[in-house]
Amino acid sequence: MRIVYSWLKEFLPEAPAPERLEELLAGLGHETETIDRLPAPDAGIVFARVLAVEPIPGAEVRKLVLDAGREVQVVSGAPNARAGMGVALALPGAVLPGGLELSARKIQGLESYGMALSAKELAVGEYAGGLMEFPEDALPPGTPLAEAWPEDWVVEVEITPNRADVLSVYGTARDLAALGMTLVHPDPRPRTTPIPLPFQVWIDDPKGCDRFTLSYARNLRNGPSPLAVQRRLYAAGMRPISRIVDASNYAMLELGNPIHAYDARFIGEGIRVRRARKGERLVTLDGVEREFDGRDLLITVEHGGHNTPEGIAGVMGGSHGEVREDTAEVALEVAHFDPVSVRGTAKRQGLKTEASYRFERGVDPDGQVRAALRFMELVQQWQGEGAEVAEGRIDLNHTRPREPIAFRPSYANRLIGAGFAEAEQLEALERLGFRVEGRAEPYRVTAPTHRMDMEIEEDLVEEVARIIGYDKIPVTLPSFFPAPDNLGVDEPFEAKQRLKRALVGLGFQEVVNYSWTSPEELSLYRAPAPTVAFANPQASDRTHLRTAVYPGLLHNLKTNLAQGEEGPFLLFEIGNVFNESETTRLGMLLSGETVPGLWQPGLAGGFYALKGLLESAAAHLGATLRVEKEGFAHLHPGVSGAVYWNGRKVGSIGQLHPAIAAQAELPTAYLVELELPLPASQTRFKDVAKYPASLRDLAVVVPEGVPYGEVERILRASAGEHLESLQIFDVYRGSPLEPGQKSMAFHLSFRHEGRTLTDAETDGYMQNVIGAIEEAGYAIRR
Amino acid sequence: MDTDAALKQIEAAQSLEALQSLKVQYLGKNGLLTQQMKTLGSLSPEERKERGRQLNEAKSRLEGALEAREAALREKALQEQLEKEALDVSLPGYAFPSGGLHLISQIQQELLDIFRSMGHSVVEGPEVESEFFNFDGVNMPEWHPARDMQDTFWLQKPEHFTIRGPFGEDVGDLGGALLRTHTSPMQVRYMIQHTPPFKIVVPGRVFRYEQTDASHEAMFFQLEGLVVGPDITMADLKGAITELARGLFGAEAKVRFQPTFFPFVEPGAQFAMWWAERERWLELGGSGMVHPNVFKAVNDYREKMGLPRAYEGMTGWAFGFGIERLALLRYGIPDIRYFYQQNRLSFLRQFRN
Repeated sequence: MRIVYSWLKEFLPEAPAPERLEELLAGLGHETETIDRLPAPDAGIVFARVLAVEPIPGAEVRKLVLDAGREVQVVSGAPNARAGMGVALALPGAVLPGGLELSARKIQGLESYGMALSAKELAVGEYAGGLMEFPEDALPPGTPLAEAWPEDWVVEVEITPNRADVLSVYGTARDLAALGMTLVHPDPRPRTTPIPLPFQVWIDDPKGCDRFTLSYARNLRNGPSPLAVQRRLYAAGMRPISRIVDASNYAMLELGNPIHAYDARFIGEGIRVRRARKGERLVTLDGVEREFDGRDLLITVEHGGHNTPEGIAGVMGGSHGEVREDTAEVALEVAHFDPVSVRGTAKRQGLKTEASYRFERGVDPDGQVRAALRFMELVQQWQGEGAEVAEGRIDLNHTRPREPIAFRPSYANRLIGAGFAEAEQLEALERLGFRVEGRAEPYRVTAPTHRMDMEIEEDLVEEVARIIGYDKIPVTLPSFFPAPDNLGVDEPFEAKQRLKRALVGLGFQEVVNYSWTSPEELSLYRAPAPTVAFANPQASDRTHLRTAVYPGLLHNLKTNLAQGEEGPFLLFEIGNVFNESETTRLGMLLSGETVPGLWQPGLAGGFYALKGLLESAAAHLGATLRVEKEGFAHLHPGVSGAVYWNGRKVGSIGQLHPAIAAQAELPTAYLVELELPLPASQTRFKDVAKYPASLRDLAVVVPEGVPYGEVERILRASAGEHLESLQIFDVYRGSPLEPGQKSMAFHLSFRHEGRTLTDAETDGYMQNVIGAIEEAGYAIRR
Repeated sequence: MDTDAALKQIEAAQSLEALQSLKVQYLGKNGLLTQQMKTLGSLSPEERKERGRQLNEAKSRLEGALEAREAALREKALQEQLEKEALDVSLPGYAFPSGGLHLISQIQQELLDIFRSMGHSVVEGPEVESEFFNFDGVNMPEWHPARDMQDTFWLQKPEHFTIRGPFGEDVGDLGGALLRTHTSPMQVRYMIQHTPPFKIVVPGRVFRYEQTDASHEAMFFQLEGLVVGPDITMADLKGAITELARGLFGAEAKVRFQPTFFPFVEPGAQFAMWWAERERWLELGGSGMVHPNVFKAVNDYREKMGLPRAYEGMTGWAFGFGIERLALLRYGIPDIRYFYQQNRLSFLRQFRN
C-alpha cells in the first residue's frame, strides 16, 4: 500500500521523518518496500485557466489561449482541452520533471509560449492521454503549482494479509500512534438537510452482507477534483476521474472502507442484495460481461417490479449505474460483505479490485457511517455551494458485537519467555484501542472492531510483544532430553549423507535436477510413464513429475557436452521420483573414460568401471554388492543387470540402450538407478588371522553363455565353511579350448580360525568343489 | 700367485658378476689361493709357518679388497638405478575425477551442522502433498488470503499414485494434491508421528508457480526448524536464530526480529542477520510460536489414528527460509538458473572445500 506522507501527517502530527518512519513501521510488522520523494514542481510551472481553444487550419494540434496571470498562447495536441478548464502550464525556462527545459518556440507557424501538461509530464501519474484537469478556480492564475504541491513522500508498505485495518492512511496512523504518538481521530461533519430518501434497501442474505448503508446527496455538480487531491490520488496509485468518483476513492484510501457511488437516477426503487441465479449476467465497470452462479453475491436494482443486477458485491460495480459527468444525485453504498464470499467471487472472476482486496482481508464492520460522512464532507468541500446531503440514511446492521478474549499476562510471559510487567502489557493493548476489563487475570480483552484478526489469546500476546518491542525479548537456548520416540529419526537422512560422501570420494559430481519432466522426455529415455500430472502446467516441458532419476542425468550429459564442458562425466543425483508413490532414488552416470589420458594413457570407462565404482561405494559402506543379469527397458539388453545390495534387489546397472543413445544423440553412457533406502549393513568383529591360509587355484571350463555369477555360486556353495576368499584371476578363450567354451581361473583361500589346515583337509575341500563343478556339467581344466 | 696383480684385477672389476668370478678364481674351493693353501701340508713346519702367514695375509688383503670393491660397485649400481628411476615430478598425475556436492547441498550441510550442534535431528518429508498437510493443517484454510502468498502447482487427482500420510496411510481424500509450497507440512507430519519434547530441522525442495528467471526459481530448497515442549518460548527461538547467525557470520553476528504474519505461527516474526562483511541486513525468513490451530490439527489427526492428544498444553517455535539466497549472496552468483536449470560442470566444480 502506498501511503502519502503529508496525508498521514494529518492524522499523526508527530509522525517522524519518512526515513525514520520505516524503522517504526518495521517494528510494528509493516515492511517498507520503497520511499519515493515527490518533489515540488519547478517554479516555472504555474496554474493557468484556459480561455479559449482554437483550431489551427490543416493541423491536428490546436491553439490554447490561457490566463496565466497574463494572457499567453500555447499549441497543444491534447484532446481534452476546452475553455474554462484549469491546467498546469510550464512556462519557457521551466524544467520538467524529466529534465527537459522549455523555451518559447514556433509550432505550425504559431508562437507557443510553453506547454500545457499531462499527469505524466508532471510526473504525478502515468496518464498521458490528455491534460491534467483542475477546477478553474483552483489557484489564482499564474501561481506556481508548487504552492498546492509542496515536496512530499510516498512510503510503499507491504501489509500482511491479516492486517486489513492498516490498509488506509488513518489505519496506518492508528497503528503507529500506539507507539506513543497523538492520533487525530477523523470526525467528518457534512452539512445535512432533512430531505427524504428516494430509495429502499433489502438484504436477502444477511450472512453474505451483514451491514449495508445507503446515503443520499443531491444538487451535485461533477467536475475535476482539487489540485492537492488529484496529486494524492495519483501518489496512492489511483487515477483521478471526477469529484464524485474521487471522493469515494479518497475516503476509502483514508479510512479503509470501500465505497461505491451510484448515480441515483439508475437505482429505481432501491437496492436488493442477493445471491446470483445460475447463468445470470452483468457488464461490469471495466466493460466485461460476466456470468455468475449461486455462490456469488450481487447488488441488484428494483424498478417497476423488475430486478436487475447492478454490481458484484464487494468487488466491482456495473456500468449501468455508474457515476457520469452529469450526475447530480448520488446513492452512496458503504457496506460489509463476507470475506470468504468476496474472495471466492473475485477469484472465480479473476478480478482483484481495491474493494475486493480489502473486503477479503476484513474491513471494519463499524466504519461505514464514518466513511459515508467523510465522502459527503469531501463532496461538499470540493464543490462549494449547493450540494445537499440527506440527514438520514439507510443502515441495515446484522453485525454482532465482538466477544472478549481471556488474556493472562502470565501466559504471555510464558510464551514469549519474558518478564514483562502486567501493567505494561495491559497498557500496550489499551494503546491499540483494546478494551481491558477485570481486576486480575484472566482479563477480558475486547478488540476494536477494525481488528478483525484478533481471535485467540496468542493474538493478544503478539500485540503485547509488538508494542513493547521484539527487541526486548530475551535470548535463551533450551536444553532437554527428547522423548524416546524421537531418537534415531535422522537415520534415513544420515544414511543418504554417508552414501553421498562415498560417491563424492570416488569422484562423482552431484547434480540437482527438477522434480518435473514431460511425457516426451520420459518416453525418449524409456522411463516409466508418468502417474502425476500438473493441473496447471507452466510449460510444455514441465507437465508431469519424474518417474526416474537417470533421464535428468542424461539431460545433464547432453547439455554439458553441448556447452563444451569437459569430462570426465561421473554424475549422481539423489532425488525423489513419483511412480505408484513417492520414493527416493540414487542415479549415477558414467560416460567417457574414468580417468582421462593426458601425456600417458588414462583409465578406461565402461560397464566394469561403473560397476567397480559402485562396488567400491558398497565396500565403503560395509555392504555386499552383486549384479545378476536382467533386462531393463532403458538399458542395453546384453549389458544390464539387477543390483543386489546386502542381498536385496535395489535397482539396475548397465549401458544406456544404443537405440536411445542414437535417438537422443548421446554418447555411450553407463547408468545406475537404485531405490533408497539401501538395506543397512551390519558390522561384526572377526578376529584377525592367526594361522596360515591354504591356497589353491582352479580353472573351470564352461560354455560361453554361463555367467561368472553362476560358477561363483557353485564354488561358494561347495567349498565349505573354511573358504575364506574366492577371486577370479583369468578368463581365457581359445586353443586348446573348443570354440564356444571359456575358462575361468580362480584363487581359493582356505583358513581355519583355530589351527593350521592340513594339506589333506584342503585337498578334500577341493575334491568337493571339483565334484560340484562336474555335477553341474562343467569341466575342470588341468 | 701374484697378490698385487690379483688386487689390481679386483680394483678394476666393473660389475658384481666380474667381482664374483674373481672371488671364485682366487678364493673359491679351487681358487688359486685355496690351491696354495692346500700345499702347506707338504712343507716343513718352519716353512709352513712362514708360508701360512704370507698366504693368510694375502687372503685377508684379497677379502678386504673384494668387500670394498663390492660395496663400491653396489653404491654405483644404486646411484645408476636412482638416476634411471628419476621422474619429472612436475608432469601432471593421473586425472582421477574429483567429486563434489552440489552447491546447494553444501550450504544445506553447513546449516544442518549448526542445528545438529544444538541437538536437532534432521528429517525429511514428501514433495507431493495433500492440501491438508500443506495448507489446512498449518492453519491456512481454503478461504485464507495467505494462500495467495504462495502460488501453487496443483496436481491432477492422481489415479495411479498414492499420497501417504505419516503412517503410510492413503491421504488422497484430504483435499487436492499439490507440490508442497513450503517445508511446513512436515511440522504436522512429524508431530502426528512423534511426541514432544523434540528438536528437528527439515531440509527439502519446495515449489512455487513462478516463471524462472535470474532471480526466481519455481523449485528451491527450504530449511524448516521446529522445537516443541512444555515450555518452549519465543526467547528460545531468538536463541536458536542467534546461534544460526553466529554459525554463518561469526561471533559478531547480529539478529533482528520484527513482527510479521504467517498463518502457522502466533506471535510471528521475520528475522534478519547482520552481514558485517557487506554492512547490510539480510532478510532471511519467517518464524514464530506454533499456532494453536496447528497443534489442534495434529491432535485431531492423532486422535483419529488412536493416539493420545500429546500436544495439549505444549508450546513450540518454528522457522523456515529459502537457502539459495545465502549461496547467491555469499559467492556473488548472478543467476539462480545456474543451480538447477543448467547443472554445468564448470559451475558445480567451483565449489569445493
